[in-house]
Amino acid sequence: MSHTQRVTRRTFLQRSALVAGAVTLAPSGVLGRASQPGANRRFVVAHIGVGGMGMTHLANMLRFQKDGKVRVAAICDADDNRLEAAVENAKTGGASVIPYRDYRYILERKDIDAVLIATPDHWHAVQTVHACESGKHVYVEKPASVTVREGQAMVAAARANKVAVQVGAQARTAKGGWYTCRAIRNGIVGKVRRVSCWHYATPADDKPVPDSPPPEGLDWDLWLGPLPWRPHNKRYQPGTFRWLLESGGGQIRDRGAHQFSTVLWCMNADQQTSFTVEAKGRAPSKGLWDCPIDMDVVYQFKDPDWTLEWGQPGNKVGQTEFGNVFWGDNGRLILEWEGGYKPANPEATNFKLPPGGQEVYRTDEYEDFNMNHKADWFKSIREGHLRPAVDIEIGHRTATLCNLGNLSYILGRKLTWDGVKQEVVGDEPANRLLSRPQRYPYVL
Amino acid sequence: MYSDADIQSLIDRIKNPDDATSGAAWQSAGPYGAAAVKPLAALMGDGNFELARKGKRALYLVVRHAGRPGAGEECQAVERELILVLGSGPSRVRREVVWMLSEIGSAGAVEAMAALLADQELREDARCALTRLPSPGAVTALKAAFATAPEDFKYALAESLRQRGETVAGYPSRKLVPTKQTSVTPRQ
Repeated sequence: MSHTQRVTRRTFLQRSALVAGAVTLAPSGVLGRASQPGANRRFVVAHIGVGGMGMTHLANMLRFQKDGKVRVAAICDADDNRLEAAVENAKTGGASVIPYRDYRYILERKDIDAVLIATPDHWHAVQTVHACESGKHVYVEKPASVTVREGQAMVAAARANKVAVQVGAQARTAKGGWYTCRAIRNGIVGKVRRVSCWHYATPADDKPVPDSPPPEGLDWDLWLGPLPWRPHNKRYQPGTFRWLLESGGGQIRDRGAHQFSTVLWCMNADQQTSFTVEAKGRAPSKGLWDCPIDMDVVYQFKDPDWTLEWGQPGNKVGQTEFGNVFWGDNGRLILEWEGGYKPANPEATNFKLPPGGQEVYRTDEYEDFNMNHKADWFKSIREGHLRPAVDIEIGHRTATLCNLGNLSYILGRKLTWDGVKQEVVGDEPANRLLSRPQRYPYVL
Repeated sequence: MYSDADIQSLIDRIKNPDDATSGAAWQSAGPYGAAAVKPLAALMGDGNFELARKGKRALYLVVRHAGRPGAGEECQAVERELILVLGSGPSRVRREVVWMLSEIGSAGAVEAMAALLADQELREDARCALTRLPSPGAVTALKAAFATAPEDFKYALAESLRQRGETVAGYPSRKLVPTKQTSVTPRQ
């Protein structure tokens, strides 16, 4: 890629600010912020949640630490078993950390600049808002939220406290996503009127078990956090929280948060916030997990008109277990997975930008896209614009697609979403479910 | 309108040991309406945890179907039945029912929901449910509970009232106050 083609995030935001539709991404005052205070400063970071993805984040931060860019200072988890393993891992990686069960001890520490949140989904919003209110920059796993109102609160907290919140949908800083995005935006298949996603089914709890005491070392009250209290059941965790609507939301909220983020980016549709959504699904006949096994969701966007389809299993056009297809007037382009772990389709990789074509922001500090996504977050802090590639506003809009897909499913009816008012049109019970009152004191 | 025989047939099919039959039955419960509320709530109290779970999910379908736009009388009928269930029965059933009422309840549900604010086991669920209820009566009920609640519960009630736009003196939020200690020690 030539120097002239490369677009930095800062340049991109400055250019975008000239476009009315991009104003919310770069509000007045942000770009003019004082010049990069502490541009060479080493960030002090802490980890909240060290399960599967949390350990990947820890490995990434230990590498940043070796590169002299961060210092890993603390690790937190509600499960002492996981915490112990992570602390040992950090030590092996060269970090001497303080372990905590309660993330709020981390938020009290003035020396910590930023936190990485990889807890179960029902915790993302509460911990993000609390971290913002404590002046910490945040990297939070996707999906950003489990309700629309949570997402709104996250955006508000980031803005009010002038911190950068990056959501962990990495494709917008990954090569696969980038090649696909610039190809689609520049007409590789002509005008795209439909995007369809395919994905394998959400698993069913075919061997349900009765409630039981939590395993030794797990703080069940803290694991539940904002959720209503209930007895522990082995099917809640670890990892399987994803298959419950309240704590994970199934494939559409787990992987959909990746795929929809990429699709919105490719379709240049971050500002297209209103749509209708209609979902149908096949519920599991038994067991604790309640997310639909199969699911078909159709989103209709207007002006410009296009359709987004989520299918479990859907129309599997590619070879991999999930992906999406851009259906254009002049053909189709497949993106297997979501633009991160897998490369782009060769047609997209080989695509040449036409004269006068639209370039797309790209950061490529690291070859590893997980590292690159975090580097983009740090860069937004150093540069002072505080708008990383998957800024919380984008993460919120993506999660809104996922959350409203599930809402349409549980209500069994089509919903019309007003993205400006952030409400469902003419459906008061649906609007009540845009938030879920949280158990005290684990509240936004 | 479903007859008693229809409702009994629904319950029998949900209890069927064959998962395919049972699963199809509880997933069809939505349109059965008010007449199905009590039998399904009774199923929620069953000692068999899978049957109880199916009863709960079936009743949620009834509630959400009744809450659809334009289903006014049907919704009110379901609400009335839920209020009756809330008055007695196992705590684990009433805990779910108060959340169901938070989805479709009107001013008429406030009194029954607010009564749970004095129940040590259910008060937190009732507080959450009332916080969601749009009726101004919910705020009045939360205020009344705040005046007489035990000190430790007042913080949560104050949170609800603030969320509903009320000013509350004292009882600052404890959301950022750490309380949980780990047994894991640092490695040097």
